[in-house]
Amino acid sequence: MTRFLSPLARVQPTVYLVVAGAVFLLVGSLASARFASLTVGGVGVGAAYGSLALALVLIYRATHVINFAQGELAMLTTYVAYQLIQWGLTYWEAFFATLAIAFVLGTAIHVTIIRPVQHRSVIGTVIVTVGLFILIDGIANWKWGGIAYAQLPSPFGFGSWDVGGVPIQHLYVGMFGIVLASVLLVWALFRFTKIGLGMRAAALRPAAASLAGVRVDAMLALGWGFAAVLGAVAALMYEPSQFSGLTPTLMQTALVYAFAAAVLGGLESPAGALVGGLAIGVFLNMLAGYAPQLVSLEVPFAFAALLATLLIKPSGLFGHRQVQRV
Amino acid sequence: MRKQLPALGSVAIVAAVLSVLPFVLSDYNVYLGAEVGVFFIAVLGLNILTGYTGQISIGHGAFMAIGAYVTAVMSRDHQTNLVLTMLVAFAACFVIGLLVGLPALRLSGVSLALATFALAVSVPQLPLQWSNYLGGSLGVQASSKPSSLLGISMPGVAALSNRWIYGVAWAASALLFGMAWLILRGRVGRAFRAVRDSEIAAVASGVELGLYKTLAFGISAAYAGVAGSLFVMASNGFAQSQDFLVVLSLQLLIGAAVAGLGSLWGILVGAAFVGLLPKISTSVPLVGSDNGRDIVYGLLVILVMLVLPGGFAGLLARLRSLTRDLNRESIPVKLR
Amino acid sequence: MSINRKKLGALLCVIAAGIAVASTAGAASQSTPGVTKTTIKIGGTFPLTGGASLYATIAYAEEAYYGYVNAQGGVNGRKITDVVLDDQYDPSKTVPEVKQLVEQNKVFAVVGSLGTAPGLATWGYLNSHQVPQVLLATGDAYWGTCTQKVGFKPKPYCKTPRPWTMGWQPDYPAEAKLYAKQILKQNNPKIGVLYQNDAYGQNYLAGFLQGLGSHTGDVVAKEKYNFGDSAQVVGAHVGALEAHGANTVVIFATPTASIQALATMGAVLHWSPTTYLNNVSANRLFVLAAEQNGANPAGIFSSSYIGSQTATPKAPGMKLAKKIIDGTHNNTLITDFNNGDNNIVYGLAVAYTFVDALKRAGTNPTRASFMTAIRSLHEYKNPFVYPGIAVQTSKTRTFPMQQLILEKWNGPLHDWRTFGSVLSPGY
Repeated sequence: MTRFLSPLARVQPTVYLVVAGAVFLLVGSLASARFASLTVGGVGVGAAYGSLALALVLIYRATHVINFAQGELAMLTTYVAYQLIQWGLTYWEAFFATLAIAFVLGTAIHVTIIRPVQHRSVIGTVIVTVGLFILIDGIANWKWGGIAYAQLPSPFGFGSWDVGGVPIQHLYVGMFGIVLASVLLVWALFRFTKIGLGMRAAALRPAAASLAGVRVDAMLALGWGFAAVLGAVAALMYEPSQFSGLTPTLMQTALVYAFAAAVLGGLESPAGALVGGLAIGVFLNMLAGYAPQLVSLEVPFAFAALLATLLIKPSGLFGHRQVQRV
Repeated sequence: MRKQLPALGSVAIVAAVLSVLPFVLSDYNVYLGAEVGVFFIAVLGLNILTGYTGQISIGHGAFMAIGAYVTAVMSRDHQTNLVLTMLVAFAACFVIGLLVGLPALRLSGVSLALATFALAVSVPQLPLQWSNYLGGSLGVQASSKPSSLLGISMPGVAALSNRWIYGVAWAASALLFGMAWLILRGRVGRAFRAVRDSEIAAVASGVELGLYKTLAFGISAAYAGVAGSLFVMASNGFAQSQDFLVVLSLQLLIGAAVAGLGSLWGILVGAAFVGLLPKISTSVPLVGSDNGRDIVYGLLVILVMLVLPGGFAGLLARLRSLTRDLNRESIPVKLR
Repeated sequence: MSINRKKLGALLCVIAAGIAVASTAGAASQSTPGVTKTTIKIGGTFPLTGGASLYATIAYAEEAYYGYVNAQGGVNGRKITDVVLDDQYDPSKTVPEVKQLVEQNKVFAVVGSLGTAPGLATWGYLNSHQVPQVLLATGDAYWGTCTQKVGFKPKPYCKTPRPWTMGWQPDYPAEAKLYAKQILKQNNPKIGVLYQNDAYGQNYLAGFLQGLGSHTGDVVAKEKYNFGDSAQVVGAHVGALEAHGANTVVIFATPTASIQALATMGAVLHWSPTTYLNNVSANRLFVLAAEQNGANPAGIFSSSYIGSQTATPKAPGMKLAKKIIDGTHNNTLITDFNNGDNNIVYGLAVAYTFVDALKRAGTNPTRASFMTAIRSLHEYKNPFVYPGIAVQTSKTRTFPMQQLILEKWNGPLHDWRTFGSVLSPGY
């Protein structure tokens, strides 16, 4: 029992930091309607960044690969949803069908492309995912690039609730809710099911798990499948929030921020990825709202945070310090 | 002596072919040849870092950007000799590469990849922030006339003509290749390889990790800086931050991986892969079509990494050991 | 060992010198490229795919017009071939593609290329090679201010004149000046400007402030955003405009951000200030998209200089446009046209000007004679341009189009309706 509690003790300082941040946002929102509006928007889009970051973390935990193609895969699955809707499905039918298709795509990619290279150097796996990025981008442009304007119907509409003078968009609440639900479902899967246990074992101790009868490669493929699902959720939520329709470049900036979020939260920590995404979403909004002269430095700031994290606390806000034994 | 002969032979063949090409190829293809030369230098430098010293960088596009802007700004403001700006770019990027290498000492593998990625994403934004001096999104136009190399006057040299760029690019490539060869053959190269193979063993053998890791960063950055300088010259002297986005850093890494280790031919193939493939003429059926290009390029990158983990150099090594086994007329040993 | 190293080093240096000397031989000159007895070849770079691909219809429309002209015998007996290359709006792709057009495809002229950054990346090359770079599909002022040899003054972005380059559409600063003059007619305007953080946006802003003259104090907020920013960040900037008390909003943004700004104002902020939208983003398709996303564009202002197939479908020019587009049998293009994509009319209008200039370049056109022709246009009857607006150039008039007509979005009709008379913002 204590073995489960001691990592909690180590994480506490960061939790204090996160709680302090949340309190700051709450107080600010109560004081200023504009602050509240910026926070709500930042949380909404930050949830999408967090979901994509979580996909990155899931893949990293399972196979120690940084998947540069995660955003493009998410974009592709969104086009699949678009196509399904064009063929007559309702939004939610297409939504769940797309998640299933994403799962299949993710596992397929792992089995065909990643499995042969996952034990190689970082460079090798990075390049394979970069090649995948280019390939998927080419496919999406080829099939759907010629459409003048494509859009998915928004599942939440554009209405808002009035909370003390602050409009809280259904859209942002819905985004946050759906991302939270998917994250909780995946967490529950890992925690409480036999397959989840197998996946955790395969990621942590592949040799021992294999000896215990776990089909390690199958488990890792499943990990990629679930990551693809989380990526699809991110993109399906992100697209309506951008108000400008579906284009092949949909997830490209989001991927950049998802990387920063994943590192910030800790590449091994799912909770950290989500919190990191929310933090970045809110931070960017606040920067735009209150420090307009620094607008060119948005991306460098996000990456300065990433760099600082790597240098000061490489395991991220929520990660555990990795000790290398010689 | 015998080991050096094949290498010398390769160098001689390549040099001969390269000298003849400008007279045989059309003007546009000479330009493409120059682009390959630019990527040759960058891939060579990156290979020193990733292949020989084992450190990853997804950020060398940033060094190309720095070298490019050095050239463009110096020649815009002071009409400096373009070849001189290349030397300044080399020196400046060497220093900056050392500075980047210092914090990189604490990082490795995935963390280093992400940290250099951060560099690649952030550096192109800087000209937009300091637009007064660095031109912002309008870019910087070099205004120097290119002078002759080695002080010999060249009749009929047009400003920044394709042949001029080709000459400068490949001359620089030859010099830098020679320099790399000398470095890697000697003590420094041995230290690099020791760091790559096992940092712990290297330290135990007395290799100063910090010095050599930083040095590798500095050298590879300097090479990328020169490549950036040449890139600007090949773009008619115009430097624009949009030319140096993350995509470029990824291309360089792909080039280094396709090249593999320890082979001149490998680096040529790697440079041609990233320099030429994305520019395949639209007259080539299917592959040349707008999206066909990307799809084929992406597939090729994946295939190369799956099938040839050692890159082109690895392929050559395998072929060489295969022929050696056949020559020996002994039972061929199964290749792993 | 060391002797071999020295020898190798020396050998490499000799090889290096050899390559350098050998390859810097001069190049030969050529007669008029791209022109044969029966054909004339032109080319251009466009974002056919990638993030700016919504402008691809311009290229397709231009090709359609050339096809129409060819079907009637071409120009002076020559049929026009148009080589369109996809640069994905990436200047690092534009440079090699333009080199390909000039050196490999040997085009007569580079016509209609889209994009400021791609244009800036290639105008040095095209001018030093004396290749016409005309009818650029961008409204930045550089194409007009840098091209005169007579009375040329070096500027930060053009130290030497670029006489082979020419734009076409009314430039952004002029458009912004027009909006400024309109706003000054309002009672107590408090202006908030949203503009893109690059040359495009800064061009607009500079013209706008110039147009306000002594009333620049009416501007209460200027917010710049980066191309590629999320809708939330753009929305944050719009929110800042509201927070500073603006009652008039001017949007100098590319289509995506414009849609995001309008959607934020309608759906998120429930704010309806007097709004001016730059005409690049005022394509009917984009405003419809904004409406789909919760914007409330009724009553917003913009400007135009070309005909509208949805507002005046019976006008002769629009009927001709329909005939030409229907003749392409390209269903996507036809659907876009019917939905009101102005880019198509734009492309047809540009192609008309090119053919007009080519006709005047003589029976055996050269690049020089073509430039002379295109710098002395007196085009008053371009069927695709808004009636009353002229395409005119001379030695001193380097901006071909200097007039605009204001328009207002009609909510119930879901379309723009022009009002008033053709205006000139003043140069």
